[in-house]
Amino acid sequence: MTIFNRNDNKPADSKLSAIDALQTPKPTEQPRPQAYAQPLSPPAKTGASMASVISKALKITGQLESTEDIQIDGEIDGDVRGVGVKIGNNAKVKGTVYGDEVELAGTIDGRIEAKKVILTGTARMSGDVSHQDIKIESGAFIDGNLKPDFGKTAGSKPTVAPFKPVAAVAPATPDKSAEARH
Amino acid sequence: MGLSMFALSRRSDARFAPARSSAELPPSFLGSGIRVRGVLEIEGELTIQGFVAGRIAALKLIIAPGGRVEGDIVAREVVVSGNLNGRIFAPNVTVEETAHIDGRIFHNTITVARGAHFDGRMPWRPVNFFETLDQLPETQP
Repeated sequence: MTIFNRNDNKPADSKLSAIDALQTPKPTEQPRPQAYAQPLSPPAKTGASMASVISKALKITGQLESTEDIQIDGEIDGDVRGVGVKIGNNAKVKGTVYGDEVELAGTIDGRIEAKKVILTGTARMSGDVSHQDIKIESGAFIDGNLKPDFGKTAGSKPTVAPFKPVAAVAPATPDKSAEARH
Repeated sequence: MGLSMFALSRRSDARFAPARSSAELPPSFLGSGIRVRGVLEIEGELTIQGFVAGRIAALKLIIAPGGRVEGDIVAREVVVSGNLNGRIFAPNVTVEETAHIDGRIFHNTITVARGAHFDGRMPWRPVNFFETLDQLPETQP
């Protein structure tokens, strides 16, 4: 045991002293740590309160529904249901967009059914709009009927309705969906 | 020329390169209140905190804690911290400790954290398996 101790201690000591000798003059040369007014890296995003973002690289074929806001910059082939739905400049939606508030700067080929509808100057709307409140900026393209009948007719559905099955879903997915199990 | 070079280099080190072009494209995020049914195709990064039923093709896919996916995933890199019922086809797979997976993971390199729930098989495949994946009939919708 003592042998091991002796052998262990010797090189360790000599190493340590060598390191000490090297390091002792250094601390005085090192720059003093500076205080930063702001943290160096931004705080991590908290996912819980974030709205959904469908970026321009994303293409969805199917249905999409959310109890939160949705920002769409990509391409959607199907219906969209959300609370606040923003459809960005280069976005394309083929289908019906339901929501409390729908802001369109891109293209919709289908319908809008929303309480409040905003069509910006770059909007391209092919289809009917059912609304309560609408704002149309100069430059917007509309090919369809505008009817202020949202919530009045039997045809307009509630904002969030249950899923309908879609044929495009992969066959590997069993049809027992999450709702059935949880 | 430049394009073909890029495609070639991307292919050769597909195994180790993190999803490279995801930095150029803004990542997509599906929040906890969202439910999607259908086919999702993305050329960049996708984070899922909500519920997705269907097929997903992405460069990098992250199933966040609380996220739930039912269906097949084809990607270069997959990180699972949430629920998955289906198959993964990806050369790089990470299964975090909060993950709950039922299904198969076709992988080339995989990390499984202690505490993860995994029920199924994880077959190893060579890198070139994932390059021809788009043509496989079983990964088609």
